[in-house]
Amino acid sequence: MLKTGLLTTVATLSLALGATVPAHAEVSIMYAEWLSSLVEPGIEAFKAETGEAVNAIKLPSQGYDQRIALDLSAGTAADVVQMDSFMVSELASAGYLAPLDGLADTWDQYQYYMPGLLEVASYNGAVYGLPTDTDVRMLWYDKSNFEKAGIAMPWQPKSWDDVLDAAQKLKDAGVEYFFQLPAGTKQGEATTMQGFYMALLGADTPEGDRNRLRNRETGQWIGDSPAIRRTFEFFKTVYGDMGMPADLNYATDPGAAVRAALADDQLGILASGSWEDACLWDCNGVDLPSREERDAMVGWTPWPGSGEPDTKATTNISGGWTIGVNANAADKALAEKLVTTIFDVGNFKEWTLANHRMAVRTDISESPEYMQDPYLAAATKLAADTTGRDTVPGYQTVSALIQQATADILDGADVDQVVQDYHDALVDEFGPENVMVYE
Amino acid sequence: MRNQANPWLTNNLFVLGLGMLPALVLIAVLLYFTAWAFAFSFTDLALVGRKSVEWSWVGLENFERLFTRRGFLESLWTTIIFVFFSAIVGQSVLGFLLAAALRGRNSVLKNVVEVSIMLGWLLPDIVAAFLWSATTAQTGLLNSLFVVPFGLKPINFINEFALPVVTIANIWKGTAWSYLLFSAALDSVSREIVEAAKVDGATPLQRIVRVQLPIIRPHIATNMLFITIWTFTYFPLIYALTGGGPGRQTETLAVFLYNQSFSRGNLGFGSAISVAMLVIVGALSLIYLRMLREPK
Repeated sequence: MLKTGLLTTVATLSLALGATVPAHAEVSIMYAEWLSSLVEPGIEAFKAETGEAVNAIKLPSQGYDQRIALDLSAGTAADVVQMDSFMVSELASAGYLAPLDGLADTWDQYQYYMPGLLEVASYNGAVYGLPTDTDVRMLWYDKSNFEKAGIAMPWQPKSWDDVLDAAQKLKDAGVEYFFQLPAGTKQGEATTMQGFYMALLGADTPEGDRNRLRNRETGQWIGDSPAIRRTFEFFKTVYGDMGMPADLNYATDPGAAVRAALADDQLGILASGSWEDACLWDCNGVDLPSREERDAMVGWTPWPGSGEPDTKATTNISGGWTIGVNANAADKALAEKLVTTIFDVGNFKEWTLANHRMAVRTDISESPEYMQDPYLAAATKLAADTTGRDTVPGYQTVSALIQQATADILDGADVDQVVQDYHDALVDEFGPENVMVYE
Repeated sequence: MRNQANPWLTNNLFVLGLGMLPALVLIAVLLYFTAWAFAFSFTDLALVGRKSVEWSWVGLENFERLFTRRGFLESLWTTIIFVFFSAIVGQSVLGFLLAAALRGRNSVLKNVVEVSIMLGWLLPDIVAAFLWSATTAQTGLLNSLFVVPFGLKPINFINEFALPVVTIANIWKGTAWSYLLFSAALDSVSREIVEAAKVDGATPLQRIVRVQLPIIRPHIATNMLFITIWTFTYFPLIYALTGGGPGRQTETLAVFLYNQSFSRGNLGFGSAISVAMLVIVGALSLIYLRMLREPK
């Protein structure tokens, strides 16, 4: 307490001192470490072109979402910020972001952004973030361990039972982390997207949004449904009955822990997304093994549905990241200039191709290099049947509650109790009129 | 007394006020943050979204939820266990035993022990977290040295013993403080008193329990006060090492507060948790301050 008190005072005093110094002409940017290979060449180009100084604030991926939300709400965020697309509408609704629609008239490359992806980063009809990439989600698997467990490859599970069956075989073959299904609070959004939502979408029929967290027709959050229960049961089977160790989800650096497990041949199945083609080794594409080496080590398959009647055969949900401008940016024109320089087609296309990211602009996605890449072609095929998150204000809270609920499952809580807690928390946050139940 | 001070100074309220200004600012800033948390604990203020701007008063709702919703009581219990074993039993007792055992010695052993425990104290929390994460990993030091050589299957310590691991890590990290404080306190016990007790036939144990401990009682209370407050609100090592998990196994109040405020984004509820923590720490401090008083 004493320490925090002192630090706060020092921080406040230094802020007060800082406020009296005249603002100097520079533009600041906050971005996650994994995006440096896109942002940093952009910053260099911006400096060379405008002669302005850039204050580049590179942050660790762990806790990034919370940091950005906190900095924007406290008024201490940079002029330009990278954000997960799901946060854009929420941040915009609080008035923290500046609209970017004006770029449509001033920047000739704006027209190439896919409208659906701009829509995700919009609030009340205005665009607040330009997407860096989109993604698809799938089950990655370690081929040497599949061979050891005697599972036929290419692996094509048709239902959750098939997945659990393979997981059991891997466990019996001595693979420690036989099915890494993101869970718990520490990984934040990864738990909701890579784990929970992917299963939920295949847990019940899509009719009436019975397989979602929110009924898009009525605008209500779903507090209890057969799909939600089945999904929690699925987590309980993996972490409870089958005894999957939970520690990767809580490691000091979860991403590094997964990479270490893969390198140690301890990883069986990993529920994750298309970025892993690079990120399983290095998100910024440094020292990646060759295409052949990577293909020999890991493979991937679409997430199958649960196998319950009327459920989808395979599921997919897409997210992605964006870069936007702080509503309090001192010089908005300069901040926008930095954004457009980062997204300039030369820099953007090179990064997209080198890191196997899914393109968000037609001038890149329709280029021959992109279309001829077999990995991107296969991933794009998955994107034909995808959906997005419930990116309305409130989603971040709902997502955090889901993460908390999976943490309780890890603790051995029973599904009835977890669903009840989740439902009550939704009512606490949004009021009973905004929460519904499917029997 | 008044005529001893400079009459110009004592009559010049402006100069006096100016001299007090830094202290007033400091107190005002500290009070501001406490008052802020207290006021917003009665609202539904959110970190982002509409409720971050258009918040409303919700009365005692947040405080009711401390008891009616899962989380707070579990975290309080985890925190009590963590504080008791890592701070009170671990750091304090171990620090005292080391200080008592090494007292007056000027050996290599003492230097080695002092440097070792100081290193733990000096390391940044995040570095310590990575270090303990690596030490307790399945391919880590503990398993390679003490488990695998005996033909046993490597143990996944963080997965199976998360709370003991963070407790031990915190003992390792914080014992230096108690050791230093107790060393200094024991040095202040005059040699004559101890010698006198020895002449009177007191055993070594009696000399510690009957003579030295009562003399350094205020130091013990001060030490308890500090480390209880620190440990109760301690965040970085636990968060970096386990993030409160697996599940909620290591979710102390500080981690719970962080998750509710910044992940869930409910600053109103988060403020209520911090007010509750303030009350608990305040009550504990009162008990210790009472201990500090000389017995009548």
